[in-house]
Order: sequence, then C-alpha cells, then structure tokens
Amino acid sequence: MAFRDWPIRQKLTAILLVISGLVLLLTSAAFATYEVLTIRRRTVANLATLGRVLAANSTAALAFANAADAREILSALRAEPHIIAAGLYTQDGRLFTRYPADLPDDALPASPEMDGYRFERGYIIGLEPVAEAGNPRLGTLYLKSDLKAVSRTLRLSVAIGASVLAISLLAAYVLAALLQGRISQPITALADAAAAVSARQDYSVRAPKVGADELGALTDAFNQMLGRIEEQERALRASKDELQRYASELERRVAERTHELEERNQALRRNAAELSAANTELDAFAYSVSHDLRAPLRSIDGFSQALLEEYGGRLDDAARGHLDRVRAASQRMAQLIDDLLGLSRVTRAELRHERVDLSALAQSVVAELRGRDQERAVEIAIAPDLTVEADPDLLRVVLENLLANAWKYTAKRSPARIEFGLTRHDGKSAFYVRDNGAGFDMAYANKLFGAFQRLHSSREFEGTGIGLATVQRIVHRHGGKVWAEGAVGQGATFYFTL
Amino acid sequence: MAFLKAIVLRACKPRGVWGVPGAWFRAAALVLTVGAGLAAQGGRAPEYQVKAVFLFNFAQFVDWPPEAVPDSKAPLVIGVLGDDPFGGFLEATVRGEHRGARPFVVRRFKRVEDIKTCDILFISQSEGDRVDEILATLKSRPILTVSDGEAFAERGGMIRFVTESNRIRLKINLQAAQAAHLTISSKLLRVAEIVTPTRS
Repeated sequence: MAFRDWPIRQKLTAILLVISGLVLLLTSAAFATYEVLTIRRRTVANLATLGRVLAANSTAALAFANAADAREILSALRAEPHIIAAGLYTQDGRLFTRYPADLPDDALPASPEMDGYRFERGYIIGLEPVAEAGNPRLGTLYLKSDLKAVSRTLRLSVAIGASVLAISLLAAYVLAALLQGRISQPITALADAAAAVSARQDYSVRAPKVGADELGALTDAFNQMLGRIEEQERALRASKDELQRYASELERRVAERTHELEERNQALRRNAAELSAANTELDAFAYSVSHDLRAPLRSIDGFSQALLEEYGGRLDDAARGHLDRVRAASQRMAQLIDDLLGLSRVTRAELRHERVDLSALAQSVVAELRGRDQERAVEIAIAPDLTVEADPDLLRVVLENLLANAWKYTAKRSPARIEFGLTRHDGKSAFYVRDNGAGFDMAYANKLFGAFQRLHSSREFEGTGIGLATVQRIVHRHGGKVWAEGAVGQGATFYFTL
Repeated sequence: MAFLKAIVLRACKPRGVWGVPGAWFRAAALVLTVGAGLAAQGGRAPEYQVKAVFLFNFAQFVDWPPEAVPDSKAPLVIGVLGDDPFGGFLEATVRGEHRGARPFVVRRFKRVEDIKTCDILFISQSEGDRVDEILATLKSRPILTVSDGEAFAERGGMIRFVTESNRIRLKINLQAAQAAHLTISSKLLRVAEIVTPTRS
C-alpha cells in the first residue's frame, strides 16, 4: 500500500519515527565522528608523551652506547600493548636497540625519517629526537602503534549509538502511538461522520469537537455545513412536496380541460356536420327551387308572348302594356333564377387548374359587352400577358361580373373608362378592375359582396345583387381574397388575388 | 630527583576516557624505576675516539655548582693532563659544540699546577703514579675527574672508563663528585657502576 493510502494514525507515527530516527542517526554519527577524531588526536598525544618520556630516559644509554640499558628502557613498552614496534637510532642513523628484542630487521626502517607523529597505513608512526635539553642531538626514537584503541572506540561508539537509537526509537514509537491520537482522532471522527453522512444521507449526524485548534474549527465548519444542508434538504423536500401537489393539480386541470375540449370538439364536429348537411340541403333546395321555378316562368312568358302575338290586335294599349310588364317581370325573374343557379354551381363545381390568359379572357368579355351595347363608347385598357393558374370557366365568371359591373356603372359617365391590370398589394400580386363610374360609399364596402345586397336601386342600375357574391365565392374557392375601394361619384376599383 | 618528578607529572597529565593513559603512566613509571643494567656497547670505533665522545657527553649529564661558572658564556674546558692519548679525536668531537651558550675548549696540561680553569679533566695513564697527589691537589675543586687508570674511582677519582670485552663501561665514585659539589644525572648513574672509595 502506498504511503498516501495509509491511515492517518500510521502516517503520523511513521513520520514521527522517521524524524526522530533521522535526528538520532545524525546525532550518533556526529558523536561517533567526534569520538573517533578525539581518540585519534588523543592517541597521537599519548604516543608523543610516551615518546618524549622514553627519549628523555634514553639519552644516557645513547650517549654512552649502553645497549643493555637501552633495551631495558624500551622493554618497559610491554606495559603498552598498542606499541608493536620501537627502536633507538644513533645520531648517525644506525639502529641501536629494537623492541621487541626479537623484532626482525625489516620491521623497522633502516634509518629514521623526519621527526614527528603521523598516521601511516593503519598505524601511528612516531619519531622523537633524543637529546638532553639544550644539548646536541644524540639519536632518534622510533615508535609504531596500532590503531586498535581507535577502532575499539569506533566500535563502542557504534554500539552505543545503535542501542541509543533502538531505545529512542522504541520510546518514540510508544510516545507517537500514544500521542498521535490527539491529532488523528478528531480527523478520524470527522471522516467517520462524513462517511456516515454520505452512506445514509443522514444530515442529522454531527462530528464530535475535541479542541479549539484548526481541527476544532474544521469540525465546527463541518457541523455547520451539515446543519445548513439539513435545513436545505428539509426546505427542498417541502418545496418538492408542494411541487408534487401543484403538478397533480395541474394534471387534474389539464385532464378536465382536455375532457371539456373533447366535448366541445364533438359538439363542433356535430355542428359542422349539421351545417354541412344544412348547406347541402340549402344548395339542393336553391337548385331545385330555381329549376322548378323556371318552368312556370317560361309558361308565363311564353303564354304572355303568345297572347301579345295572337291577340295583340284585339287588346287595347293598357292591356298590351300590362302584358309587356308581365313579360319583363318574368324575364327578370328568369335572370334572377339563372344567377342563383350560377351561384349554386360555383359552390358545387369541381375546380380545374390550368394556365389561364386573363388578358385574352378580359378582351373577349369586353368584346361581348361591346357587341351587346354598340352605341356606348367606353375607353378600355387591358394590361397584356396577365396569366394565372386557375379554373378558366370560373375566372371567366369573375371577369364577366366585374367588367359587366364596371360597364354598367359607367353608363352615365362620358368619357367612360375601364381598366384591367395587375398591381401589388401587401407584397402579393393583385388583379384589379377600375372604372370611373358611380362609385360607392366606403362605409358599405363590406356589404358589397353579400348576396342580394345592392347599394344602388335597380331603377338606377339594373341587377340582381348576386354577381359580387358569386365573385367572392369563386375567389375564396381559389384561396384568394377580394375587396373594393371607391368613393361616391368617383369610380370604384375591385381587387382580387388568387 | 626534580627531573624524575617532572617526568612523572608529565606522564600523569593526560588522563583520558578510555583508561589508556593509565597504561602509559605505568610504562613511564616502569622505565623510571628500572635499575641500572649492565652496560654493553658494540664499539667498532677506536677506543679513544669513543672515550672522546664520552668525555664530551659527560658535560650533558653533570651540573657544576654556580660558582664554577663565572658567566653563562664562559668556555667549558675539557682538559687532558699528561700524555694525550686522543690525538685529534677530542678536538674533532667538540668542534663547534656548545653546552647552552658555553663553547667547548680542549686544553692540555703537563702538571696539575698548570690547571687554572677546567671543568672536565682527563688524567692520562702517564700520570698513573701521581694520581693520588693530583686528586689531592684538585680535591674540592669543581672539576669532573675522569681516567682509565686502575682503581681510579676507588682512589677518589670521579669517573673511570673500564674496557670490558671491547666495550667501554663507566664506574662512578658518587661521593667524590658530591664532595666537589658536582651533580651527576641519575641517567648517567644508571648506565654506570657506582663504586665506594676504599679510603675516605
């Protein structure tokens, strides 16, 4: 397991142990180094002391070449086991006495080197001048000591250091194990509380506060946070409940409204069906009425004509006048019936769609009008090449009605003028028929297109009041719109789109 | 004995942690307490060359009374009474040498009466018959008397060279030296044999 995954208790203990171990190790190393350096220095100092003492004692032996005495003096070195070799050299560098007495020749240098004490290949070599104070030199004392004292000291230092380290680490471990709880316990408690919160979503849990340090502050903050979350949770739950209530209320209302709408829809469908049936009936009625009414009218007209032709001579002028009136009335009625039939046909006929040359159509309608009323001089302006996709028969009806109206209402105008063209209205193409005739009051503009609605008396301008209704019906069936602009005495303009 | 004390004290001074200085101290003490062993030396040099060196070396182990040293730069005189057996060895030995500030000087005397100032006097064997008179004449003068004559020390001389199996040994009459107010170093005494005069 990686160190960062260790429990915090073990981390704390480990850190304390590592730190104290490191400190102790460094201290012990410094201590051992100091000891070794000290003992080396002291060993040299001791050897130098011994050398000086021996040299001082050896003066007479060298001065008077007394080898036995010199041997005796050096043999005192037996008391110092670290001295492994010694020798006295005469002034001219000859080996005079050696210690121990059985030392082989090659164990000592042939002649002494420089005076002084030095470390050499694991030994201390000492060369001490032999002389009486203030007198010429008599010779040299050579001493060779091993470094067992130093290595023993080093071993002892290491042993002491190791035991101190072991004991201290043990003590540090025990102390760390005892004391780490003061830091880790609040953290562990905090972690437990957090785990409990996240596991059970129980925001009523609170972590125990141990002290007023940073961990205490953290615990406080944690608890406050939990408190706030608990509050918010409660508020959230309350608003959720409310929302739920609203939602169900809304659902109920929607269901209610849907139900109502369905009922209304059904009612509407019923109404539409009834209306459609009524319309059909009405159309059938209108057709049959028109059709059935025509036969008696033909009889009335026919017999009135026969009466006038066969018995005209026998009748006085008044009677002939009455008969003329009967005929005119019956003919007007026939015209009325024809128009009604046309309106009815427009309603029921199937729409054909093909390209229609409106300019040519308008020309032919005008030619027809001119042919019927040859004494009138009317100025006609028809824009060329106006074509549209529509039912040609119905479009002819539209143009016949509009142009005939214009022809009719310009009768008292001289010069009369009628114009057919294309303009733009609200971004769409709109055809128009304009005249400079009687015109109309814009206050009645919406009544123009109702069946049997007339703005002028039939005495002034004859007509059935069905033409514009028929036009509107045809334009509507083509998905278009029809409207009029005008003013009394200043002509009128009829627009239509398809 | 002051010298001895100094040695012992110096040896005692460095007292260490590991008990080693104890051993050093014991070694030093042992060195100081060994008795004078029998002297022996391999002398390949001519006998009187060695004796000349010994004469010169005596100066290092003997202290003269203050009245015998007029000033600190006065020459230290090595005298030879009678026939000189040294040839040039003595001069060669002391040439350029000093004891402290005192230069060494070699003088030769025919008669004991000629001796004015002298610190070390070698009495030649040529004076063998007159040794007693000479010693009597020099009695109580601070002159270190040295000779290789028969029973010189026993007869009141201070140091006698004895040649034994090719080695030169020393016999010292300590009483004679003390009578002349000369102090002989214990180190010198250790390499010598101390004799007691047969007559007082």
